[in-house]
Amino acid sequence: MSVMSSQNRRTLIAVFVTLLVVCEMIAYVATTPRPREQFFQLYVLGAKRMAADYYPDNDTNIRLGVPIMWYLGVTDNMGTVQLVSIRVKIGNQTIKPPDDQQALESPAPVVTEFLRYLQDNETWEVPFVWSITDAIPVGGSTRILTLQINNETYQLQDCSASNGHNFRLIFELWTWQTDANAFEFGWMAGGEHRVAWLQVWFNMTSPRLA
Amino acid sequence: MGVLVVLALVAIQPLVVTSQTTDSLQLRFGETIAMVHQAESAGATPSEIGALVALLNKALGLYWEALKVTAPDEAQRRAELVAQVDQILMTVENRAADLTALASQRSYTNKVLTYVWGVVAAVLGTILYVFAASFYQKYRIKRTFQMRVTRK
Repeated sequence: MSVMSSQNRRTLIAVFVTLLVVCEMIAYVATTPRPREQFFQLYVLGAKRMAADYYPDNDTNIRLGVPIMWYLGVTDNMGTVQLVSIRVKIGNQTIKPPDDQQALESPAPVVTEFLRYLQDNETWEVPFVWSITDAIPVGGSTRILTLQINNETYQLQDCSASNGHNFRLIFELWTWQTDANAFEFGWMAGGEHRVAWLQVWFNMTSPRLA
Repeated sequence: MGVLVVLALVAIQPLVVTSQTTDSLQLRFGETIAMVHQAESAGATPSEIGALVALLNKALGLYWEALKVTAPDEAQRRAELVAQVDQILMTVENRAADLTALASQRSYTNKVLTYVWGVVAAVLGTILYVFAASFYQKYRIKRTFQMRVTRK
């Protein structure tokens, strides 16, 4: 003998089905990862870890052998582990900077690079202590011969600027592309090729006498 | 003269071999990251992935050190460093493969459990509804019997 009327049974089934649909939708939302924006952050800070005081006494005219302390930083917001490389290049006023639109690297020569695996949401900061250890005047320009970065000395070729003005250090972010099995300038996100780079200008008007 | 050339070739050979080895290592660094990506997409936790990343960075440091060792008399040291890098990368690959299987199983179980909890919640909600409806019905009957009929 049924205690429940058919009307009540139908109501009960309707309530159960409605609750089931709602609860399973919540379960689906909880178990499905939400899409997020994929990007990197690249920054250069001064000696006090601020976006200021990049040069001693704020004088952009660098002297031979004077060490300059910066911090290079990268944050991975790609959602996955990434192998990144910060390539340090040196150029003058005439050399092309990286092209944001075409995602092309700068043709300036690479001085050195810093490699690191980064976890999602991880920020990697590396001290960047550099100084110009040798530079000579050539004609009306200054040629930097050696650069010291983090106690490593690098020989430079054809790195000169008119009157020693407007040299620049360019920092480019390269990432390992698993499809191409190689490092590429920038990264791919949502079908778009994005790049991150920075440049800091300086002068070297007091080289040693040739 | 011929002996000198042979000696020179023998002396150069280890350097050439290690150079090729470091090139192939660079590719292996890339291949290893693909395995770590698999573990990540299988649902490995940040702490599990962090342990792999720490090993990878250690390997990267040794690789960088190996690249700096260029003197011919340090070929042995370079070979040792390259072997260490190779060993660490192998460890990472093995751990990443284990982690992929483990995390995949764990993610599947968690997903199934979440959906089962959805069904349980629906059943509990229905029972709650039945009790609430029954209580409301009893309340309505009680109110009906408490009514007083008055002539207007």
